[in-house]
Amino acid sequence: MLESFAIAIVDSSLTQWIQANYWLWPILEIAHFMGLSLLIGGLLIVDLSLAGLLKLQPPVTHKLLPVVLIGFGINLVTGILFFYGDPMRYSVNIGFQIKMCLIGLAGINALFYHWKLGPLMADWNSESPPPLAKLIATTSLTAWMGVLLFGRLIPYVGTG
Amino acid sequence: MFSWLENTSLALWVSESYYAYPALLSLHIVGLAMVVGLSSMQNLKLLGLFSGLTLEGQSALIRLALTGFCLNLFSGLLLFSSQASYLVTSLPFLLKISFIATAMVVSVLIQVRIKSPQLESLSLKTLALASLLLWSSAIIAGRLIAYV
Repeated sequence: MLESFAIAIVDSSLTQWIQANYWLWPILEIAHFMGLSLLIGGLLIVDLSLAGLLKLQPPVTHKLLPVVLIGFGINLVTGILFFYGDPMRYSVNIGFQIKMCLIGLAGINALFYHWKLGPLMADWNSESPPPLAKLIATTSLTAWMGVLLFGRLIPYVGTG
Repeated sequence: MFSWLENTSLALWVSESYYAYPALLSLHIVGLAMVVGLSSMQNLKLLGLFSGLTLEGQSALIRLALTGFCLNLFSGLLLFSSQASYLVTSLPFLLKISFIATAMVVSVLIQVRIKSPQLESLSLKTLALASLLLWSSAIIAGRLIAYV
C-alpha cells in the first residue's frame, strides 16, 4: 500500500521541487528536530504527572497540550515533505514502517487518554493515580521513545 | 592529539562497528528531546504560557533534563572521538558546542534566579528567551555539521 502510493507520487512536481533544493532538506530536518523537542518535552511532563511522578495534578498539564500538538503538526508537515522528497526509500524502509506503526499506537493511546481518563481527572489523587493512568502514561512514553529511536535509524536500516 | 583520540580502541569501535554509530545517534536524539524539550517547556512557562502550571521547583524534571544532558555528553563524546580531527575544524560543530555551553550557563542562572527571587537584576524573561534561542541555535548548528 505504502509502496504503491510511493510509486504514484515519485514523479510529482512536489518531489522534484524538494529534490532540486539542496538547502530545503537540512531546513526540514532542523524544523523536525525542533518539533520533536516541543512534542516530547510537553509529553514528558504530561505523562510523568499522569503516572503520579510529579507534584502536579493531571488536569493542569492539559495546558501543555497545545504546544505538544504544535510540535506534532510541525513534524507531520515536515515528515510528509520528507516522504515526498524520497518516496521510494521511505516506503520500503523498515525503520520508517515501525516508526509509523508506533505513531499510530501513540495516537490510539492519546484517544484513550482523552476519552477514558479525561472525565476522571478532576477528582483523583495525583499521588496514587488509577492503574489505567499509569498504563496510558507508560504506553505513551514507550511509543514516543521508540519513534525517536526508529526515526533516527531510518538512514541506517534497509528494507527489512 | 585529535588523531591520537581517533585511534584509541574506543573510537575505532565507534567508527568500525556496524551498530555503534547509529545506536549512539539514537541515544543522542533521545537526550536532545529530554534536554531541549524540558528546557523549552520551562522557558515558555517563564515567558508567560501555561498559567497555573507550576514547573518551578519540580526537582524530578531538573534531574530528568540533567539525565538527558549526561546521555548526550556521553554519546556525543563517543561520536566525537570517531571523527575528532575533522570535527575540530568544522565551524557548525564548534558553534554547536559554544551554544550548548552558553545554554547550560543560562540554565544554571535560571535555576539560581528561581531560588533567589531577590536577584531582580536578572530578568527571568530575558534568560528564558536567551535559553530558547541558544538551544534552537545548537540544533541548527548541529544539523548543519553534515551539510557545510
